Amino acid sequence: MERAAVEGAAARPATRTRLRDREWFWGYLMIAPLTLGLGVFYLWPVLQSVYYSFTEWTLFGDSSWVGLDNYATLLRDPEVGKALWNTFLVAAFGLLVIPVSIAVAALLNTRGLRLVSFYRTLYFLPVVTMPAAVALIWRWLYNGEYGLINYLLSLVGVTGRSWISDPSTALYAVMVVFVWTYLGYFTVIFMAGLQGIPGHLYEAAAIDGAGRFRQFFRITLPLLTPTVFFSGVLMVMYGLQMFDLLYLMFGKNSPAWADNKTIVLLFYNKAFEEGAKGYGAAIAVVLMAITLAITAVQFRLQRRWVHYA
Amino acid sequence: MSKKVWALICAGALVTGAAGCSSSDSGDSGDKVTLSYGIWDKNQKPAMEKIAQEFGRTHPGITVKVELTPGSKDYWTKLQTSAAGGSAPDVFWMNGPRVGLWASQGALLPLSDRIAKDGFDTSKFPASLNELYTLEGKQYGVPKDYDTVGLFYNKDLFDKAGVKYPDASWTWEDVRDAAKKLTDPEKGVYGIAAPAWSQEVYYNTIYQAGGHVISPDGRKSGFDDPATVEGLRFWVDIINKDKSSPTIQQLEDTDPIQMFQNGKVAMFSDGSYDAIAYNQTEGLNVDVAPLPSGPKGKGVIIHGLANVVYAKSEHPDEAWEFVKFLGGEQANRIQAETGTVIPAYDGLQDTWVKSMPKLRLQSFIDQVPDAVPYPRSMNTAVWSTKETELIAQAFAGTKDLDATAKELAAFMNDALAKE
Amino acid sequence: MRNGRLWPVHLVLAVGAAAMVVPFFWEVLTSLKTFTESTRVPPTWIPSFEWSNFTRVLDSTPFVQQFGNTVVMTVVRTLAQLLFCSLAAYAFARLRFPGRNVIFVLLLSVLMVPDQLFLIPQYQIIKGLDLLNTLPGLFLPGMFSAFGTFMLRQFFMGLPDEIEEAARLDGANPLRIFWSVMLPLARPGLLAFGVLTVLWSWKDLMWPLVVNTDPEKMTLSAGLAALHGEHVTEYPVLMAGSLMATLPIIVVFVVLQRQLIQGIAFTGSK
Repeated sequence: MERAAVEGAAARPATRTRLRDREWFWGYLMIAPLTLGLGVFYLWPVLQSVYYSFTEWTLFGDSSWVGLDNYATLLRDPEVGKALWNTFLVAAFGLLVIPVSIAVAALLNTRGLRLVSFYRTLYFLPVVTMPAAVALIWRWLYNGEYGLINYLLSLVGVTGRSWISDPSTALYAVMVVFVWTYLGYFTVIFMAGLQGIPGHLYEAAAIDGAGRFRQFFRITLPLLTPTVFFSGVLMVMYGLQMFDLLYLMFGKNSPAWADNKTIVLLFYNKAFEEGAKGYGAAIAVVLMAITLAITAVQFRLQRRWVHYA
Repeated sequence: MSKKVWALICAGALVTGAAGCSSSDSGDSGDKVTLSYGIWDKNQKPAMEKIAQEFGRTHPGITVKVELTPGSKDYWTKLQTSAAGGSAPDVFWMNGPRVGLWASQGALLPLSDRIAKDGFDTSKFPASLNELYTLEGKQYGVPKDYDTVGLFYNKDLFDKAGVKYPDASWTWEDVRDAAKKLTDPEKGVYGIAAPAWSQEVYYNTIYQAGGHVISPDGRKSGFDDPATVEGLRFWVDIINKDKSSPTIQQLEDTDPIQMFQNGKVAMFSDGSYDAIAYNQTEGLNVDVAPLPSGPKGKGVIIHGLANVVYAKSEHPDEAWEFVKFLGGEQANRIQAETGTVIPAYDGLQDTWVKSMPKLRLQSFIDQVPDAVPYPRSMNTAVWSTKETELIAQAFAGTKDLDATAKELAAFMNDALAKE
Repeated sequence: MRNGRLWPVHLVLAVGAAAMVVPFFWEVLTSLKTFTESTRVPPTWIPSFEWSNFTRVLDSTPFVQQFGNTVVMTVVRTLAQLLFCSLAAYAFARLRFPGRNVIFVLLLSVLMVPDQLFLIPQYQIIKGLDLLNTLPGLFLPGMFSAFGTFMLRQFFMGLPDEIEEAARLDGANPLRIFWSVMLPLARPGLLAFGVLTVLWSWKDLMWPLVVNTDPEKMTLSAGLAALHGEHVTEYPVLMAGSLMATLPIIVVFVVLQRQLIQGIAFTGSK
């Protein structure tokens, strides 16, 4: 017995290194396919795009080094400022989905409520619909002459307009759809968040005489902050990168294009429609920097308001 | 457990096979060559497919697949992307505004040597079209067709409103008066549709007003010329003063072609290539007249497409064979007889004119003497994209026309200086 | 009494649900109208059941082919992501090796990059592999996912150590442990992530639009964009097309609803 124990003790350091070596080997082996794939198809392209942002392209793939020219043009381009503003607007407006989906989730969590999964299914339908279809459906709903929305408005005596082709409303019209498509998604997330809050907290609060609203603001909301934070980060990212809806909802010659481009659309416009891939890459790099900066700020600020239980 | 994974992968492969095998496997098997032919007009697809079929019949071993990318904006975007990746279609449509850039950047196969070697007769095409696709002495495209613009009108709506049909004698005032009379807000009917389309709509009136889009040498913008602005104002007034056209917001919501086809619009200025669509529309009692005269007389944009060969095509010889076929009598006859487009080939214009008895297609041919070539420069896309955006705003009434024209001229001059 | 208390809740939820469903109702209704009916004000509520709208979609696009392509793309992407991401996720969660965190953060940084930045280089890679206008070209870049790795790593970290420890003491290597111990335990997470991947793959637009120009090699999403280009504002046909492209995934959703909801709930809870 004792011998065995001693031997075991002596052997342990050796085994541990061997084990660790083995662990290294297996670790690298297991991450290899993914790392290779992400490296080739994602990380390398990022580096390439950064490189491209210092070049100028002919339409067909020949490029030449132009240093910081693209970035200089970018600073002077009035379209970039406008597109940035629009992008922030979309991202900010998109955050509206959070209070709305918290409200829906809270209602769905009402004790004793029936038909919950029925409602959830309906709220979730837009999430599973492909953006191409969503865009077409809403483009039709927004139609100035024959759209359902204007018809319904006319019933209450309001004269509608061509929501999606009118420069002053087009971007907002798209943002409404943006929120519409994500509402079900975040409702599900918040329902899970709500269900994660232990029931005894409410009971304790009820004993203390706190009403339902008090309970909501004192217990529910603070405990929901991690989910709110997560959703905010996600939604801002979706908002900053929104492309499909805008691209498919605006008509090809729409007067709405000029003033309502987001930064991703400007990128697409420059890189693909005009063939200025270098300039397009510079715009994309700026977008990446902004996304990183905003996310970093969000993470920095979370300490002030996010409560981790 | 890995058996399961394999089964799934195999299932995937099976579906792949099933999805891939039902038609035209890539022509790698045997000596068969498959050419792709890129086009953008859905109206022309049947004729192009017919031509491709004929070609396949007379050239066993070569199959041509017609690839339609509807809408020319999407077409160019996609073509540019695939050309940058080195894989554009072997043969595709080219237009005047784009040929300069595509040829000068080496994306198109020069055809002059092949034309000379095979004794291909280009004199069958209008000289101006051959010239359009010739750069620095090298010809890059074989003319396919040409087009002018006419004033289509809905006879039933004219009859109902008791307005005389348009004819070659009409002036701008006639059009505006008729449009006002034809407009019936109750029924959602408009006298005319004025989308912010360049070739079909405002370029024509710019020249009718004595203005110009670009200087003949292609170095200076014409949008700061007051006459050019007059040509644009014609439409702006129709939309915003007379209200006899849907707003351009409405025209983005519902395509003017569809509004015209459904009797919601009485007149529409459109290219000869859309005649086939109107002719085929059931229940549309349609005819076409020449465009009206403006303050400075007649003016209409003439343009023509060409078939070109992609420089990096893996089958340049076969592609050239096909382009030759497309430029031959037989293919042009198909284009003419089906009413698809005015063929570029000499002597077949009459066949086209007779192809759709319902329409007085001669109106398009009659205007050729007054025609102005499509405005272009080396890199037209850079300023024409901006142009569409700005003019759309002016038409929408959200931006002052004069200021917009000035802004556009400045942008355009800047872009032209960089070419 | 309970119902009495809950009716305001039902009212609010029903109004919201109407806003979610009416667009789809309008889509279905329009898809059965003639063009003239669709442009009538006030709207026609009983359509003349113009089924030709659906056959016209079949005329303008090789719908069956595109459906097959979409299924293949979705299945391959999902299986590949499940395999590669779970392998790596396990390693990142449970194995110790030098550079682990650096590599993990590096891979995660992909999540912060706008998709458009990858587009041109990815296109060139696929071109270099001679895979343009092929099905592999369609699914290749989408076989790897940083998000999936992140999500599954969270999942693995949440699993108890004990079972794994036992297998380790039995001398099983990490791959073996992963395959026969952890993977079965991770089934709910894998299923949830799988369903999410199916959904995203099905909806993907930009990449299929760019990489495959041949209509017979396109996906439904890109096909719908092309249909839009062709029929511009001919809404009965466009609505018929959207309906056909969306219906299969809605069926999948209804069947796998619980897993999908769990998947999404899971991403939010960590």
